[in-house]
Amino acid sequence: MKIALDIMGGDFSPSELVAGAMLWLNESDGQIILVGKKEIIESELKSYSFDSARVAIVNASQVIGMDESPVTALRKKKDASIAVATQLVKAGKADAVVSCGSTGAQMAAAVFILGRMLGIERPPIVTGIPGRDGKLTLLIDAGANVDCRPQQLVQFARLGRAYASGVLKIDNPRIALINNGEERGKGNNLTTQTYELLSEQKNLNFIGNLEGRELFSGKCDVAVCDGFTGNILLKTMEGMVLFIAAYLKQEMGKTSGVLSRFDYTQIGGAPLLGVNGISIVCHGSSKREAVCAGLKIAQECVANHIVDKQLKELAEM
Amino acid sequence: MEELFELARKFLAEQMDIDPESITMDTNFEDINADSIDIVEMIMALEDYYEVEFPEEDLEDYPTMGSLVQALYEFLRQVHDEC
Repeated sequence: MKIALDIMGGDFSPSELVAGAMLWLNESDGQIILVGKKEIIESELKSYSFDSARVAIVNASQVIGMDESPVTALRKKKDASIAVATQLVKAGKADAVVSCGSTGAQMAAAVFILGRMLGIERPPIVTGIPGRDGKLTLLIDAGANVDCRPQQLVQFARLGRAYASGVLKIDNPRIALINNGEERGKGNNLTTQTYELLSEQKNLNFIGNLEGRELFSGKCDVAVCDGFTGNILLKTMEGMVLFIAAYLKQEMGKTSGVLSRFDYTQIGGAPLLGVNGISIVCHGSSKREAVCAGLKIAQECVANHIVDKQLKELAEM
Repeated sequence: MEELFELARKFLAEQMDIDPESITMDTNFEDINADSIDIVEMIMALEDYYEVEFPEEDLEDYPTMGSLVQALYEFLRQVHDEC
């Protein structure tokens, strides 16, 4: 298994990215392709001992910044690290790409280079929300697409179903629509229209609307929403966890182990679904542990043949 | 330019799953909910068809189908003249 890691993306590139790669090498038997400015990567690697047969460097002379328009930047910067890394997956030289850089650029690279699966308008990001009894609820779209059409949410539901059954091994996953109320007819134009479309889907275990507070209840396996809502939900959760952890530490002198389940450095990364290849989006402020965790997510997706599973699901639509 | 427009319209309509007849030279991309990814995918399809590489464009400069098609047509004509 070979994973391409975009070394130039993220707040702590390149040092924490290279460190994360080294951590992953120690905990896996895969190979890593470090993509970015060669001289920078070589300089970072001097601090480490590693099996050189398991580490390759591919030069990429350009970087897409977080403040750049992703699509325009990708068109102009053909040698951008995210483009080069994604191209490796397209060419079959890597099994997955992992990046902590611009999510928009990573999505655009996935669309333009890997290509969208037939029937998918936009690739969503899927992430797991820890809940009761150690179960995960998948949230999709967690932030790739801020403006969505109802049919896109139906596509997200299908992809989420494929991931839930293919990777989490859930039989007949329960699909719910994130909404501001449980009753049919609740919500805005997007959710009311999506509700009807989801209800009509064959072979989809749609259980109805789900309010935000129920995300941790284990009532559903896949919670569907547009990327705007999903991203706000995620960031709110992050902030709440940090707040509670600080409060507990202040009041009781210690924090709770359960909060670590929400720690993005433990979760690592989130797969971009609906494209013909594996692309893992990591938090921009990922340090080495999170990078390593992101690489493990990539490894899990490769091992579970997630692309094939999505294609199979879409064929049944 | 007619051929270029017809092709561009066909590619964009297929991508967006909309009626090609709904796209005219005056169509504003925002009005049909075509975002930058839709537009660039259309451009990439035209690049494959014509076997050229269009110059990197600032998409904000081309808010309508007509303005973009005109710019692409000028480039194709220039390439043709150089050949």
